[in-house]
Amino acid sequence: MNQECRIGVYICNCGTNIAKVIDAEGVRNKVADLPGVACARTYEYMCSNPGQEMITRDIHEHGLDRVVVAACSPRMHEPTFRKALESAGLNPFMLEIANIREQCSWVHDDRAKATAKAADLTHAAIRRVARHVPLEKQEAPYTPVTMVLGGGIAGLTVAVELADAGQKVHLIERESRLGGNLGRVDLTAPYLDSARDLLAEKVVLAETNPRIDVRLRSTLTDLMGFVGNFTATVTHQDGSDTEIPVGSVVVCTGYREFDASRIERLGYGRHPDVITSFELEQRLRSGKMETADGRVPNYVSIVHCVGSRNAKYHTYCSRVCCMTALKYGHEIKSALPRAMVTDLYVDMLSFGKGGEDLYRRTSELKTMFLMFEKEDYPVVRAAEADDDCGLLVQVHERLSGETIDVPADLVVLMVGMQARSDSDQVARTVGISQDAEGWFIESHPKLAPVSTPTEGVFIAGCCQSPKDIPDTVAQARASVAMVLGFIAQGKVEVDARFAQVDGDLCSGCRVCNELCPYTAISYDPDEGRSEVQSALCKACGTCVAACPSGAITARHFTDEQILEQIEGVLAWSTSQP
Amino acid sequence: MAETVEKKKLQIAIYWGAACGGCDVAILDTDAFILDVAALADIRLWPLAVDGKYADVEAMEDDELDLVLFNGAVRNSENQKIAELLRRKTKVMVAMGSCAHIGGIPGLANEFSRDEIFNRAYLDNPSIEEGNVVLPVAEKKVAAGTLEIPHFHRAVRRLSDVVEVEYFLPGCPPAPDQIKAVLLAVATGNLPPAGSVVGASDRALCDECGRSKDEKKVTRFFRPWQIIQDPEKCLLEQGILCAGSVTRAGCGVRCPDSGMPCRGCYGPPPNVMDQGAKFISAISSIVESRDAGEIERVLGEIPDVMGYAYRFGLPASILQRSTRSQ
Amino acid sequence: MEYEPTIVGFLCNWCSYTGADLAGTARIKHRPNLRVIRVMCSGRVDPTFIMQAFASGADGVMICGCHPGDCHYLEGNDKAYRRFQLLKKLMAAYGIEDQRLRLEWVSASEGERFARLVDTMTAELKELGPLKLPPDLSLVPGPCPDPTAVREVTHG
Repeated sequence: MNQECRIGVYICNCGTNIAKVIDAEGVRNKVADLPGVACARTYEYMCSNPGQEMITRDIHEHGLDRVVVAACSPRMHEPTFRKALESAGLNPFMLEIANIREQCSWVHDDRAKATAKAADLTHAAIRRVARHVPLEKQEAPYTPVTMVLGGGIAGLTVAVELADAGQKVHLIERESRLGGNLGRVDLTAPYLDSARDLLAEKVVLAETNPRIDVRLRSTLTDLMGFVGNFTATVTHQDGSDTEIPVGSVVVCTGYREFDASRIERLGYGRHPDVITSFELEQRLRSGKMETADGRVPNYVSIVHCVGSRNAKYHTYCSRVCCMTALKYGHEIKSALPRAMVTDLYVDMLSFGKGGEDLYRRTSELKTMFLMFEKEDYPVVRAAEADDDCGLLVQVHERLSGETIDVPADLVVLMVGMQARSDSDQVARTVGISQDAEGWFIESHPKLAPVSTPTEGVFIAGCCQSPKDIPDTVAQARASVAMVLGFIAQGKVEVDARFAQVDGDLCSGCRVCNELCPYTAISYDPDEGRSEVQSALCKACGTCVAACPSGAITARHFTDEQILEQIEGVLAWSTSQP
Repeated sequence: MAETVEKKKLQIAIYWGAACGGCDVAILDTDAFILDVAALADIRLWPLAVDGKYADVEAMEDDELDLVLFNGAVRNSENQKIAELLRRKTKVMVAMGSCAHIGGIPGLANEFSRDEIFNRAYLDNPSIEEGNVVLPVAEKKVAAGTLEIPHFHRAVRRLSDVVEVEYFLPGCPPAPDQIKAVLLAVATGNLPPAGSVVGASDRALCDECGRSKDEKKVTRFFRPWQIIQDPEKCLLEQGILCAGSVTRAGCGVRCPDSGMPCRGCYGPPPNVMDQGAKFISAISSIVESRDAGEIERVLGEIPDVMGYAYRFGLPASILQRSTRSQ
Repeated sequence: MEYEPTIVGFLCNWCSYTGADLAGTARIKHRPNLRVIRVMCSGRVDPTFIMQAFASGADGVMICGCHPGDCHYLEGNDKAYRRFQLLKKLMAAYGIEDQRLRLEWVSASEGERFARLVDTMTAELKELGPLKLPPDLSLVPGPCPDPTAVREVTHG
């Protein structure tokens, strides 16, 4: 190890988040005398202003050239502490974070073992940081063109807002029309405005604004490059491709509805008068509120949570169904004033602005609410010949404890939202992750809700998780703000962590050439050497591991840095001889 | 003998440990140059060519020798004892050849325990006549006194595991030109920093190999006799397991030029910590398939991964030079 | 004191490290035996690292990457998979038991799976005991073969 370096080590208590399981002072004592450590401290909240000031002060007073912070995950506060280093005149890459919260204090109970592990992780960070070198920032221009995937309300909002701000947008829609799922809806909850009205204006704006290039029946099939400098390949229905340079991509690919036929007892697909909420919307829009054989229904039964909040299907709440069902209470009553509406629900989640009011108004319309257990869907069967209805819905009513046969001529299933079947393909193309249910994962659930780990790729609307129109539009406009931020800057910082070939060691064997998925590696036949184009490199390090000459270096993930970490985590391990 | 030595003449010794004799022959392959060496230097010990006894070496002053070329690995107590003796007597110790440098072919014995080796050599060997098992013993009392043979160590070690080494001259054997260059460097005092690998390039063999190199996509690996090779094309691209990309150049590309894949005798380039680790990493990376089953099949056909990865360098591998193994 | 194995984990930044963080935010308790080293991609994991980990005292090594087809870098995990195929064979030749080296796919949402993997591997290694690397490389001469222990000679 470089004995000359001066490392400051800061162990965060994170209030009690770390300190309740880890003896931070014990960790401090253990690492304080390691070679290169100039000062070691513990503090309540390192990420707070006084915490960061402690670091910057020590950098000046102790002449620190490197900093280790043992705290939460680097995914949380690495940028924070990098900025702190920078503000004190240190290169931001002279920092290493030891994750002693997410991967230690939050997951272990045994104080001694958790403290030993925290010390090992901090030791590894100290050994690693001693091998850090300053990396210079590089900048690249930002192409002020945005690609929006999906022409639903989210994508339309993004496209129109950006165009209104004077920016060029390519709106890619896989279907033959704009509008998305909202285009299949009649009125919206809770204020019962027409979805058509909400959409029509946006669709017209998108189709007529010269700054918006709408491409229907098209999909994004490839995205190369990096933030500000992507090349998007759009494939059209006829199989032809267009390559479009873009700065950012906003993914607004929406959702699909749950397939109600998966829940056999609900009778969907067997009884023609069992329909999904989207099929009801269709009837409401066309004004034809009738059964399959053309009768006017006297009884309408609405079943909530179809595919949602159920261990067998989807465990999450689809968030819009309760409000939509309440809306149906209104719409059906106004179309068929004499019909009896029964609402079979699990829990009535009429949250948010106007929600409770809608519930009250629907109750006043004499909708009958019956509650069922969420794992115990009602059973739909054909009625007897002498019944005055076509179907009977048997429900185990929770509040009364009784089993009730509810008459129905029409049963409406409130199908939940689920990730689209092509969402994994989209995720792969743009390089983002999905959760277990297939929804796209944001950078941070609270603080970075529309960003993704891939810089320049944003997500908005239901592709991220089920949400209503206001939330969808809020996310869409949030991503517009993010994109405009880039455009205002006009440039992006290029990751300084690219791979580099040492020409003095490269033998030109060309083992690495085929490995790069971004074609960042090229071969110079005159010199007989391979080279990495840093702007194309995404720093995965695959070529580095493969290089049989050890001629490729992964900046900030060098062999020696990782080897120091390996030895650091093991130096105090109990089983070592 | 020592007092008859002219001061300015180089005092050198050449010794073999666990070796095949090829390094000694390579010294002879310097042809007429060896006569210059004889004129330039006093060869004080060279079991292959010169009459000299261990007792003569023991009688020397410390540092009396200018140079020792030690070839062969350290396999038994005699190898170790003479290595330590020569170390005391010389200013410059050169680990010559793959065996002294990285363990060499004898190092492959480290795949097996000492007992397995003995069983194979003295018990389970098809050439042993039934009922005629002869086992070695370290000491045997006979009428004339006690006979001793060296003790067989538990494992093969590199020379540098046993004594301090100034320079490493790789190769199985080292190219005669490289041997000449080292002798001349010592004679002229024009020496690189201690610890250096001499007589070899910092780049891998591909740098000097004249075969054409393209992007590498392999769908099947072959042993040399399983394929009619294209004499112009990179052997690895043809699926022949060539270690050239993970081996220092310096040999003059002798094997690939004669249609044989590099086996790695010059050891890894300077930034490679473990030749075998990098060899398997590179080899597996170039398989052209994304189908797990197919990849497993193609890689599964490689026989004796250990032998390919460490043909010459098992004792130099990270795991065998680890203190944990001791 | 009860033997506690030490496992070195190489986790890719995008899926597995995030998954391990999720185990944290969800407070999914697991054994404290794994020491995580973050790499950008499982494709960065050089077999050299695994060997160094074993040489430096690890009882086990776990490499975690994105599930096949989900790699943030498109196919880095595929390269990790290939290397693992040969690495397994090489480790076996070194006398290192199969259970000591694992390649696992852990997505950003699989905190629970990550925690269970750590627990399972820890339990297996506890059973196995500390890693002992053959051969004994000491320069102390071993005993000569014992003539009384001559086994029946099997040819071929």
